[in-house]
Amino acid sequence: MANKTTTPSSSEGLAEAEKVTVTIDGREVAVPRGSLVVDAASSLGIHIPIYCAHPKLDPVAVCRMCLVRVGKMPRLQPACATVVSDGMVVTTQSPEVAKVREGMLEFLLLNHPLDCPVCDRGGECDLQDFAVRYGPQTSRFPITQKSHAAKAVVLSDKIELDQERCILCWRCTRYYDEITGEKELVLVRRGIDTVIDSFNGEPLTSDFQGNLPEVCPVGALTHRQYRFQARPWDLQRTKGICPECSYGCNINIDARDFEIKRFASRDNPQVEDMWLCDRGRYSVEKWSHGSRVRHPLIRAGGEVREVGVDEAVAEAARQLGEVLRLHGGGAIGVIGSPMLTNEELWLLQRLARETLDCHNCDHQLDELGNVSADEHSLGIAEIEDCETVVVLGAEPEANTPVLTLRLHKAQLRRGVEVRRVEHDASPASLGIKGKRLVGVIADEVHRAYAADMADALASGNTLVKRLTVTRGVNGRGAKDMGMLPTQGPGYSRVTGGKDGRQILHAASAGAIKALLLVGAETVLRGAGILAEKALAKVDVIIAIEPRAGIVANAASVVIPGHTYFEKRGSVTNVEGRVQRVSPALPPATAAPQETRVLAMLAAALGATGWGTGDPFEVNTMLSQAIDAYRGAGNGGRALWKRQGEPR
Amino acid sequence: MAEYKLLTHAFGTKDLPTLGVYEKLGGYQGLREAISKFTPDELVAQVKQSGLRGRGGAGFPTGLKWSFLPKDVFPRYLCCNADESEPGCFKDRWLIDNNPHQLIEGVLIAAYALQVETAFIYIRGEYRDQRLLLERCIDEARSKGYLGRDILGSGWNCGIIVHGGAGAYICGEETALLDSLEGFRGQPRLKPPFPALKGLYGMPTVINNVETLSNLPHIVQRGAAWFAALGTEKSTGTRLFCCSGHIGRPGTYEMELGTPIAELLENHCGGIWKGRKLKAFQPGGGSMQVLLPEHLALPLDMDVIQQAGSALGAGAMVFMDETTCLVNVSMRLVDFYKHESCGKCTPCREGTYFESALMHRLEAGQLTLAELATLEDICDNMNGKCFCPLGDTATWFVMSAYRAFRDEFEAHCGAGTCPVAAAQVTALVPA
Ligand SMILES: Cc1cc2nc3c(=O)[nH]c(=O)nc-3n(C[C@H](O)[C@H](O)[C@H](O)COP(=O)(O)O)c2cc1C
Ligand code: SF4
Ligand code: FES
Repeated sequence: MANKTTTPSSSEGLAEAEKVTVTIDGREVAVPRGSLVVDAASSLGIHIPIYCAHPKLDPVAVCRMCLVRVGKMPRLQPACATVVSDGMVVTTQSPEVAKVREGMLEFLLLNHPLDCPVCDRGGECDLQDFAVRYGPQTSRFPITQKSHAAKAVVLSDKIELDQERCILCWRCTRYYDEITGEKELVLVRRGIDTVIDSFNGEPLTSDFQGNLPEVCPVGALTHRQYRFQARPWDLQRTKGICPECSYGCNINIDARDFEIKRFASRDNPQVEDMWLCDRGRYSVEKWSHGSRVRHPLIRAGGEVREVGVDEAVAEAARQLGEVLRLHGGGAIGVIGSPMLTNEELWLLQRLARETLDCHNCDHQLDELGNVSADEHSLGIAEIEDCETVVVLGAEPEANTPVLTLRLHKAQLRRGVEVRRVEHDASPASLGIKGKRLVGVIADEVHRAYAADMADALASGNTLVKRLTVTRGVNGRGAKDMGMLPTQGPGYSRVTGGKDGRQILHAASAGAIKALLLVGAETVLRGAGILAEKALAKVDVIIAIEPRAGIVANAASVVIPGHTYFEKRGSVTNVEGRVQRVSPALPPATAAPQETRVLAMLAAALGATGWGTGDPFEVNTMLSQAIDAYRGAGNGGRALWKRQGEPR
Repeated sequence: MAEYKLLTHAFGTKDLPTLGVYEKLGGYQGLREAISKFTPDELVAQVKQSGLRGRGGAGFPTGLKWSFLPKDVFPRYLCCNADESEPGCFKDRWLIDNNPHQLIEGVLIAAYALQVETAFIYIRGEYRDQRLLLERCIDEARSKGYLGRDILGSGWNCGIIVHGGAGAYICGEETALLDSLEGFRGQPRLKPPFPALKGLYGMPTVINNVETLSNLPHIVQRGAAWFAALGTEKSTGTRLFCCSGHIGRPGTYEMELGTPIAELLENHCGGIWKGRKLKAFQPGGGSMQVLLPEHLALPLDMDVIQQAGSALGAGAMVFMDETTCLVNVSMRLVDFYKHESCGKCTPCREGTYFESALMHRLEAGQLTLAELATLEDICDNMNGKCFCPLGDTATWFVMSAYRAFRDEFEAHCGAGTCPVAAAQVTALVPA
């Protein structure tokens, strides 16, 4: 059904496309062949109003809002579906076009309920905006003759639909057809009675429903989580990275009165391509719940004392220093978290290795032997450039849901062959031969299998690139920073130490006498009874922790941490893209951010050359220490020279 | 020029819809000759030479349409459009009822010319009897080797599938027909790509009307030159005219193209009934603009009627006598389009609703002159702006009537009732 037009490739560094010259409103512009008139106009800063058109969807030309005069064509043409040709002359500003826009808006508003004052979308609605800019001043249609449809139709636990507000632009149905392939929304009835509804009235089940209100140009599809929560002018917007997984989806964090109200997408074609998953989008609520650690505490002899940060840091240094002196660095365990920034992780492993002479450091519990940069060479957008992508294990996308949509796009738009492979399939049995670029995608459980697969598929002319789905928003950064028991920053060789689980075992056995835990609450909670035993056994527990919980309850010194949305720094996604985060909320504590606390601790332990722990300063230091990060800058990918290239 | 029974010559023969009778009258000779005398390309050239133009509405030259199929792309499909939903149109049903094998033979000849192995007949849902009849006749023809494998020993295979619609005017539009046939909601597709390049299931496809295809056996048997000599230079052959309205003998008449409309009306339709006078007529079905008594002298020629501001369209002639209120007729036609709008594009979906609301108030004498101007304005915002011709044509009749009978429209404004011989108002299109 769909007719495919050329969608610009999303991969970096594509050869320059052939250009054609068109004249729009008397101004000439050269645009790539295959461009649409609406895009050519926008490259000149000429705005053509659109409703049904959407940059990520194929044109359907149903709303007729974008009609313009094209050359000598007898009828006005839809700018959203008309492909430019050399020498084309387009007129978008003329009495004729203005009349059609006004007429089309009159039609769209004919049966619209005009309930803007109670509509979530009011203030960020294309129907409102274009009505002001291009619409008629008054309505010529009697309000009593409006046709009505259902309001507040519950489509699922996440989405509600107002069928009266709908302008039937088909974006939502096409989103399902083209982007997720699930086809859960359909058009029912015809003519003026046409409405959008779920197929057979069944509740939506997609994992990507939250994108629907965003593709909807009006207030028809709404998030139930956000209904009546705020108007756009109430919101303070901060650019950020989704906290839920290591895919690194770019988001806008919208907060009202110091409470996060919603996550909205912030199109990065290289990463999420503007589509978020529901797990990430609707994780909003987590950030307004849970009790926080607000003041530094020292716990001694069954007594808990609120202290200042300086005193807490000094006490922490004293306790750690004593264990170091009496038992050596081997008796210390350092556990971070994949929720920490690169700057924090880099400082933390440095504190462990350089200042505490301790090699027992990790950011998670599992044994991850032989981590290498090689398993992270395939970029997300690069999936579209592969000829074949081998997906190993049950469903690596479960950890990074939006990867599902990239794989779907690669198949649908670029004809990439996607092979899902069971654990026991031999590489030879796949019959993959003579390909230029093959991608191998696996989760961390299947890393070894993926390595064998990649080795077997690579040959003289076949380049194999791997993507390993890491866990935790900065799971990838934690590895790059060397927050690992076996490797240092940039996968450098270091003296080996204990991994997360081994640290806890050693602690509960009494061999480890001090724990330095930074944001480790969630990591330790994953260890169940083992963590509780370890925390009960060890006397010296220095915790930098934003949330109350088992760690803060057991620690001998607690310094309040900042949550992910209160801090500054960078995180690295699954493909090595280094992306900046900055505070969307003020911190819930007077204590400084973790990087500063770590610098203070290092200084208190007698280390020099640490600076103030300002996140930007730390970022500069770590970029000097790790080549790949110097190259990545802000928003680029950290790429390592591949070992034994070509493979 | 006068009545000329080419497609209808054998109508009335007892049991014509059975294969034996049809064969006895020379049936399937056209197919036999087409296969034995011509290569597919030669056959396309023959149809081009015959000057045959589409009978479905647009009057597009059939041979030219066929020649747009890209070389060497297979499979290709042929769809016979038997959706016949134009108001006032009933000729396709008549052709199927009386001579179904003529259509099947036509479909097969076209399929051979286009190297199609699967042809479809998309028939409107209400034509259930005709669908069953076609299916029976297709079985008959298959049993005699006219379709199926290795047709008449030529090595060419072809099957015909009859598919019933579910009752939507829009499904007669060729691309909506394709979507419906594929099992989707029947709505027109964005063009380009045109069906000739990407049609049914994304493959090259030709869509032709029942009457268009029913001409083919005759073109093959009598020769393209003979056919081209029939009718006028650019409107060759005959056409079936479905005549209805205020006339003595409503019915379908096959006329050689070029015959004056007056002759059709006076000599065949029995003139305007009850001794009354003609007020207006529609030459091509509900979509086409109104014509006036002064146009009766015009020949039944596609281009001439187009120059007069209307079109022969689907061949439905609706005659209205002097008692007819053109506002009332317009209102009913507008209601038809409102009811049949598929809802895909804004101007058609909302515009027909707006139009209809205004027309109802106009008919009831409640509209102001300013609102009458609004009607004209919104029709302008629709015409030429819609996704497909349905929405455009929803304005054609009413606007042409408004222009020709402006007094009548204005007299309704504020009158509180229909001023046109209130007692005699005769609805032409049943509600
Ligand atoms: C709204 C609409 C309805 C139509 N309905 C019919 C129809 O019922 N039957 C038909 O043959 N053509 C119909 N057409 C015309 C077809 O789109 C198409 O032009 C025709 O079937 C081509 O056949 P022909 O070339 O043999 O005329 C319709 C067109 C439109 C825009
Ligand atoms: S619900 Fe929104 S996205 Fe869907 S058709 Fe209506 S206006 Fe468009
Ligand atoms: S934006 Fe072009 S028709 Fe809708």
